[in-house]
Amino acid sequence: MLQVPDVYLAPMLPILIVLAGAVASTVLGFSLPRRALTIINLVLLGVSAVSMGALWNSGATAFGGSLRADNAALLLGISILVGSAMTLLVSLDTAFRARVSFPEFDAMLMYSVTGTLLIAFSGDLITMLIGLEIMSLSSYVLATLQDSRRAEESGLKYFLLGAVGSAILIYGIALVYGATGSLNYADIAERTAGLTPQNVAILVGGALLLLAGFAFKVALAPFHQWTPDVYTGAPTSVSLFLSTVVKVAAFAGMLRVFGGALQNAPGWASVLQILTAATLIIGNAAALFQPNFKRMMAYSAVAHTGFLAMTLLGVPGLGGAALAYYLLVYTLMTAASLAIVAALQRTEAGMSITDLRGLYYRHPAYAVALGVCLASLAGLPPFAGFFGKYLAFQAAFQNGYVWISVLAALASVAALVYYLRPAMLMFMPDRTPAREYPHGERAATTFTVALGVVGVTVLGILPNLWYGWAANPAIWETLAGR
Amino acid sequence: MIHLMIFLPLLGSLALLATPRRWREEVAGFFAALTLGLGLLIWRGGGAELFSVNWVPALGVTYSVALDGVSLALALITAFMSLVAVLYAARRIENPGTMLSLVLAMETGLLGIFAARDLVLFYVFFEDALLPALLMLAIYGKSGRMRALVQFAAYTLFGSLLMLLSIIGVKYYGGSPTFALADLVNHPVTGATQTWLYLGFLAAMAVKLPMWPLHAWLPDFHEQNHDSGVPDVMGTLYKVGGYGIFTFGLPLFPDASEQLRPILMGLAAFTALYAAWIAFRQTDWKRLLAYAGLSHMGFVALGVFSLNETATIGAMYLLAFQNVYTGALFLSVGMLQERVGSIHTRVGGVMTQAGALSGMTMALWFASIAVPGLAGFVGEFSVLLGAYQVQPWITFVAGLSTIAAAAYALTAYQTTFWQGRPLGGVRVADLRHTEWLVLGLPLAVALFFGIYSSPALRLIQPAVRGVLATLGGQ
Repeated sequence: MLQVPDVYLAPMLPILIVLAGAVASTVLGFSLPRRALTIINLVLLGVSAVSMGALWNSGATAFGGSLRADNAALLLGISILVGSAMTLLVSLDTAFRARVSFPEFDAMLMYSVTGTLLIAFSGDLITMLIGLEIMSLSSYVLATLQDSRRAEESGLKYFLLGAVGSAILIYGIALVYGATGSLNYADIAERTAGLTPQNVAILVGGALLLLAGFAFKVALAPFHQWTPDVYTGAPTSVSLFLSTVVKVAAFAGMLRVFGGALQNAPGWASVLQILTAATLIIGNAAALFQPNFKRMMAYSAVAHTGFLAMTLLGVPGLGGAALAYYLLVYTLMTAASLAIVAALQRTEAGMSITDLRGLYYRHPAYAVALGVCLASLAGLPPFAGFFGKYLAFQAAFQNGYVWISVLAALASVAALVYYLRPAMLMFMPDRTPAREYPHGERAATTFTVALGVVGVTVLGILPNLWYGWAANPAIWETLAGR
Repeated sequence: MIHLMIFLPLLGSLALLATPRRWREEVAGFFAALTLGLGLLIWRGGGAELFSVNWVPALGVTYSVALDGVSLALALITAFMSLVAVLYAARRIENPGTMLSLVLAMETGLLGIFAARDLVLFYVFFEDALLPALLMLAIYGKSGRMRALVQFAAYTLFGSLLMLLSIIGVKYYGGSPTFALADLVNHPVTGATQTWLYLGFLAAMAVKLPMWPLHAWLPDFHEQNHDSGVPDVMGTLYKVGGYGIFTFGLPLFPDASEQLRPILMGLAAFTALYAAWIAFRQTDWKRLLAYAGLSHMGFVALGVFSLNETATIGAMYLLAFQNVYTGALFLSVGMLQERVGSIHTRVGGVMTQAGALSGMTMALWFASIAVPGLAGFVGEFSVLLGAYQVQPWITFVAGLSTIAAAAYALTAYQTTFWQGRPLGGVRVADLRHTEWLVLGLPLAVALFFGIYSSPALRLIQPAVRGVLATLGGQ
């Protein structure tokens, strides 16, 4: 007998609103200019955020738990929306220069956001996979959209490696299904407890494949190699999107799968620990030697992946809260830095670090803003990056991963050096002619930067404004449902 | 009032940004003076009690501040030297708005360090003082500043991050509900864990102190800073390491500090002697002062690590007043540079044309090499007296550095201020206007507390007794 799934609209609402934006951009693109579409999309992102606020504490689910609008999903969803809104704002100013100013850009972006939200709201592996694929496919297009060889190359690279990642991920899902007989996070979590040894072997295999697949998506070493090329080759506003929103979503998926479904599964944590260590070392060491600022930010994104992954090593109660806090802060500071790059660069290849010399005397506000972002990225108080790092350390440390915390501390020193160099160069007096795009400062970009800077400062001084919402361990104990 | 004192300079620093250019010096001076005034009021009121509210309740981080005893003494000195630095910077540096702003911002960080009674808050202020220091170096530094900057930041952050881990560890293993010092002391960590955590904590403090082998950033930092010496004044105030070990290290890790005592004392004595030896070979006044400061800090460390009451009191005394005379010496080097265009120690003959500058500098050097009657003597003598009871041989080694100090200071002084003025040298002007105050006030303080030390001791002594009582020290 055919059973009708329990379709509820409310938990889907935030996703549907974003999807409406995507569809509207596709359809209205024929009659409306792109700016109008972008503004419509910004409004819809806002409405989506409001609907998330309305769903807070409701614990609503749909499709028998396949889609869950629990608090964890909402907290991660907000970070996604913030990052997406910042991308759209920056694109208002820079899309034309980057030669991506057509409605398809908005459409693809909003489809991608739909996918990312689906991952955050997922209640089983299939929903997660669908979200991941929607997100990835639109991102491949986004990376290629610009009419240039570099963008095509980076898009192709992204596509090929992303496809391999997805394949590995799907195979992992198949193995996990084979071991536990379920795709639902909650069921998997329940069944991992009493498995026969053969099944445990399959489960471990599946978990490791899942880990590898996710490692591709979040850029954990050694699966990170596509990131610098893609982030550098893509238009800067797209790099901004890829390094914030897409990463947030991929981490949301990891948190759901490893913090929830596979919480009790053996094996993956020790491998993740090694991957994290490798990421911390490789990401930070490689960033030290980058002459191009945009490329350095790409490696910085890899390095931050290492810190973010540390939170997954913690118990979900602490780690989830740390991840939620860190992701928002990471989004704010990375988006603001890349927004400045987008505004000031002469070409989409970004700017060299030495070009930043004396920026303070040419664009004082941008220089100070970039300084704040870099200090926050380096984890210096009173900016929010400090508490993010602190929470990540704490989560790993308290779960017994002491040596990786020490390693992360050492890696942070390297991080400080490469963040410090551009930050300090900006304040050094300089007599050579300016190397920036002369019409860089525009209202929307400036607003984005201000949002990021005010965000990291306020969240740094009063972390409780955001962490207070995320701190309740009960939110994260039920990642898988129940 | 205590919150006002901590955050007033930062407020002033922000206010400077909105102040028209011609009023900036006055506004900065006003804020610096007001801060010092508040400090003196707190002193008269017998110190500020512990004030504590939850800052990040979910993490157990509190905003706990107090100013009493040692911390009040250090805060007062900080406020005083900041005022002196502002006075000098306002006249010496062209268009000083940014520099004054940074000096004030840094003052808040330093006052916060001394006031904090919560480990995370301490860490936050600790790092906050770093940012203005870096910016001063970046904006006003010399050509080799990038290397100095990276070195300085890397060392500092390397230490602080290990300290951060220790902080997390102390709370976690001790099971304390918050990071407030009082709570942490009530939930001590024991055994080998304590030793490891102490080592992490020490890493940060030894960098700041600084102590061999973590001192390498110091000479470059001073050498590459602006000639005026203003950033160096703030930099010498930067030596919060000794204070941190005293206020947080000893109460939190009592067993470990007793266990590691001989090793740490040895390192401290070695630092003192080694730095004095290197100072002797320097031909750049700033590097010389940097190594001299390093040598003094070896004494401070020796005193604190000895866990002896007399020695610890001496260490805190030295820590407080070393800032005054070394800071003033940095400023006098700035004046010298302004006049002869060099900070080489072989300038020669400055005394003949600038008597007052030379005289003041000499008096300040006497304070620095611990001539009795000046503040340096009280501190160094107490340290040696106390430490001798614990480790006579190590103390003897450290004591040798006082002889070395006289040697390097007087040799360099002689070749700069005495001897003949080289032919064709520019005419050297004597002290003018506020410069009298800039050198005179610190000298007066050094002289006053060298002769009449009881007001300072009354602040320091009870605090030291309180801390050492928890250890069952000797």
